[in-house]
Amino acid sequence: MVQLRPRSSRVPAPAEAMVDEDQLGPEEEEEAEHGLLLGQPSSGAAAEPLDEDDDDDAPEELTFACAQAEAREEELRVRESVRRDKTLLKEKRKRREELFIEQKKRKLLPDAVLEQLTTASEADIKKSQENVKVHLKKESEHIAKGRNSKKVKIQEVHSASQNKSYLAVRLKDQELRDSRQEAAKHFIHNCLYGSESKRTTVNKFLSLNNKRLPVKKAAAQFLNSTWGAQKQQNARRFKKRWMARKMKKKTYK
Amino acid sequence: MPIFNLSSFSKRLKDKEWGMGEFKVHRVRFFNYVPSGIRCVAYNNQSNRLAVSRTDGTVEIYNLSANYFQEKFFPGHESRATEALCWAEGQRLFSAGLNGEILEYDLQALNIKYALDAFGGPIWSMAASPSGSQLVVGCEDGSVKLFEVTPEKIQFARNFDRQKSRILSLSWHPAGTHIAAGSIDYISVFDVKSGSIIRKMVLDRQHLGVTKSRCIVWGVAFLSDGTVISVDSVGKVQLWDSATGTLVKSHLIANADVQSIAVADQEDSFVVGTAEGTVFHFQLVSVTSSSSEKQWVRTKPFQHHTHDVRTVAHSPTALISGGTDTHLVIRPLMEKVEVKNYDAALRKITFPHRRLISCSKRRQLLLFQFAHHLELWRLGSTLATGKNGDTLPLSKNADHLLHLKTKGPENIICSCVSQCGSWIAYSTASRFFLYRLKYEHDNISLQRVSKMPAFLQSAVHILFSEDSRKLFVASNQGSLHILHLLEGSFKHLHTFQPQSGTVEAMCLLAVSPDGNWLAASGTSAGVHVYDLNHLKLHCTVPAYNFPVTALAIAPNTNNLVIAHSDQQVFEFSIPDKQYTDWSRAVQKQGFHQLWLQRDTPITHISFHPKRPMHILLHDAYMFCIIDKALPLPNDKTVLYNPLPPKNESDVFLRRTAHAFKISKIYKPLLFMDLLDERTLVAVERPLDDIIAQLPPPIKKKKFGT
Repeated sequence: MVQLRPRSSRVPAPAEAMVDEDQLGPEEEEEAEHGLLLGQPSSGAAAEPLDEDDDDDAPEELTFACAQAEAREEELRVRESVRRDKTLLKEKRKRREELFIEQKKRKLLPDAVLEQLTTASEADIKKSQENVKVHLKKESEHIAKGRNSKKVKIQEVHSASQNKSYLAVRLKDQELRDSRQEAAKHFIHNCLYGSESKRTTVNKFLSLNNKRLPVKKAAAQFLNSTWGAQKQQNARRFKKRWMARKMKKKTYK
Repeated sequence: MPIFNLSSFSKRLKDKEWGMGEFKVHRVRFFNYVPSGIRCVAYNNQSNRLAVSRTDGTVEIYNLSANYFQEKFFPGHESRATEALCWAEGQRLFSAGLNGEILEYDLQALNIKYALDAFGGPIWSMAASPSGSQLVVGCEDGSVKLFEVTPEKIQFARNFDRQKSRILSLSWHPAGTHIAAGSIDYISVFDVKSGSIIRKMVLDRQHLGVTKSRCIVWGVAFLSDGTVISVDSVGKVQLWDSATGTLVKSHLIANADVQSIAVADQEDSFVVGTAEGTVFHFQLVSVTSSSSEKQWVRTKPFQHHTHDVRTVAHSPTALISGGTDTHLVIRPLMEKVEVKNYDAALRKITFPHRRLISCSKRRQLLLFQFAHHLELWRLGSTLATGKNGDTLPLSKNADHLLHLKTKGPENIICSCVSQCGSWIAYSTASRFFLYRLKYEHDNISLQRVSKMPAFLQSAVHILFSEDSRKLFVASNQGSLHILHLLEGSFKHLHTFQPQSGTVEAMCLLAVSPDGNWLAASGTSAGVHVYDLNHLKLHCTVPAYNFPVTALAIAPNTNNLVIAHSDQQVFEFSIPDKQYTDWSRAVQKQGFHQLWLQRDTPITHISFHPKRPMHILLHDAYMFCIIDKALPLPNDKTVLYNPLPPKNESDVFLRRTAHAFKISKIYKPLLFMDLLDERTLVAVERPLDDIIAQLPPPIKKKKFGT
């Protein structure tokens, strides 16, 4: 097998320099050694560098040892690049892991606060009814907004349970309760003021009284903003109908 | 009469001559106060008290024996929409609402004892067992839960069979063995012992041939003979036999919902309230005059409400109703009243029996208290002069200086502005706020005084001293705190602890203009007078049966004037520790009959700085100057002056006639005070303005309109 030798073939040197010595695993190191050992005979039979002067000559034949050494070098290079990629990936993973741990730590409340929360039993907090309920989420959002743009839910509860000016509640329960309360309110409003109830407006109601009074008074509410819109709509509708009627008549004629 | 423009801030300065002097009157109508609608009433037979809950969560206690005086109240809360209210175990008050909690109120300390989650979603109904030892609640998820009332708390006992839809009304059988529960389209009867459903009665949705989408049972009542009375959204009052589950009788009484029912203890009459504002009285009467067979007959309709009657109660002698139109109406039943006196008259209570307005005389400011905010206004002024009775044009309009919103969902309990106008204090159920105001030409700056001490959590009454250097706070634990106000900060001076063994909250405070004396009164105990120089209790005014409605200490003489809910007025000399001669003379002769028959309590007392013989006081319908130098009226003299005076001699005659000079021009009058020697401020709240802001009423056809 004849191999053409590329002109500038000093590739392995920079590749080797790039590899960090301590990053090598024991197996890889062994492999490298092995490679070097294999490459040794090629270096021993390196008598060819003579033919650098004569460019016009036909491509020279390479010895098998030389070609083998080159192939080895190539192989080594590829392996090293793979190893480099691996180590880089490892490094990256390690850094991310560290970041996660850091973030977890930041998310937690300070130790002192946690201790206080566990000591003050829930029943105690609930008892003091005058406490204002503070939605923890809201507060944390406020704090997060104020401090940094990241939406990290950081809770800063200064002296929880020391001044009982608020009550800590579990957000999940509270949301459920609020939604149920809203639904109940909606139900009662729908029953009393929904479409089936025969309600009038306050203005009409007051004018009813006024109509029966011997001395007529001014209306309680002078302006009704919906009147303008209503009248315009009526006019538009009337125009449409009128036009349609006219058109019909014309076609009949 | 002046013409009022209701759509804008109307304020008139009037030169009005009446009584002993001429006054310029600031007639203020921009206090945009709307009471919240009444949701529940509960009558307690033992103590003759009435508990009233409103849609904003406020609960008020009226003492029916003390001239229907509102003696206690629990401030509202945004998330605490009360749907049910009942007395149990004697005089313990419970409420339940859409937030799913059952609350018990501490009637002594005026706070909420505890809140207990029923874990059934929003609670629509609650009823106490006839013995008072058990409570049942009906929840949104269709469960009926039984609670045992223990001496300290209530404890969940068990669930009854769960229903498909929400339980909107509940009623116990008088023997305590069965419970009727009304939900949508049907009524179920439970056996208390087993907790299982034994009867289910389905209602008809038809109303005059039109089928409605649903029939909501707004109220049920269980009678001892096993009859269940139901009221529903179709407009019917129906009587059912619970043993067989059959409909016995049906009365169609309204074109709209019938929303409430209450039965008398004797079970010979019941009352229902409709969304049209009508209250119907049903009575059990004999079919013929000789037979013993009796049947329920609709006897009397009453139309005292304009809006929905959400709740009714039946006391032994009266029908009580309340609703969206914010009136509490007490209608005595003529056949049950033994003596036909003024107690048998109709009572309509609209405004709270406490002051919502405070005034800074020096800067001519008014502070208005609403449920969730305060408003500070500066009064306008005029340069014009006019005759007696003229309406003067304003040269400078009233200014809305400040709108202060509260933080959190709690309602404001009380508020006060200092005489110099540079301090504002208010309190909610859990926090106390103090603000410092600074005036620079036309703009004002507000600064909150931070770091309030721990003991200042909630106040029942707040008062600034005349020189604005001291702040008096009555807490609901019965103690009185005195703070010394400095520029932008304060110092705690002293705390008067309550008398040993009592935890009763102090509701009213008055300080003498020289700053030496402080008078405080609780809901039932007498008036205590404290010496502020030596920081000790000076004396206690002899106890009186009726609660105090207003207190004030006169300048110079240091006479304490006390008004009680039975319309008696006493004058007590603090330095001498005894009633004054004038007060004794009044008691000996007695007040005028008409004076004692007024039905709203005196809410404010003040004094004229130049005329020591005058006492100025007002209730919701009249303003009065008592001239102690003149003879007292007896029952034969005319107490009220029906017409304005026409000429000079008329004026003179009235001036010298008797001690009580009464003006009824301004009504409903929420506040009236003397700004300076010749200027009065009167804050009115016309009822039409309130109605204009209420939810829409039911449409009714009126003949001729």
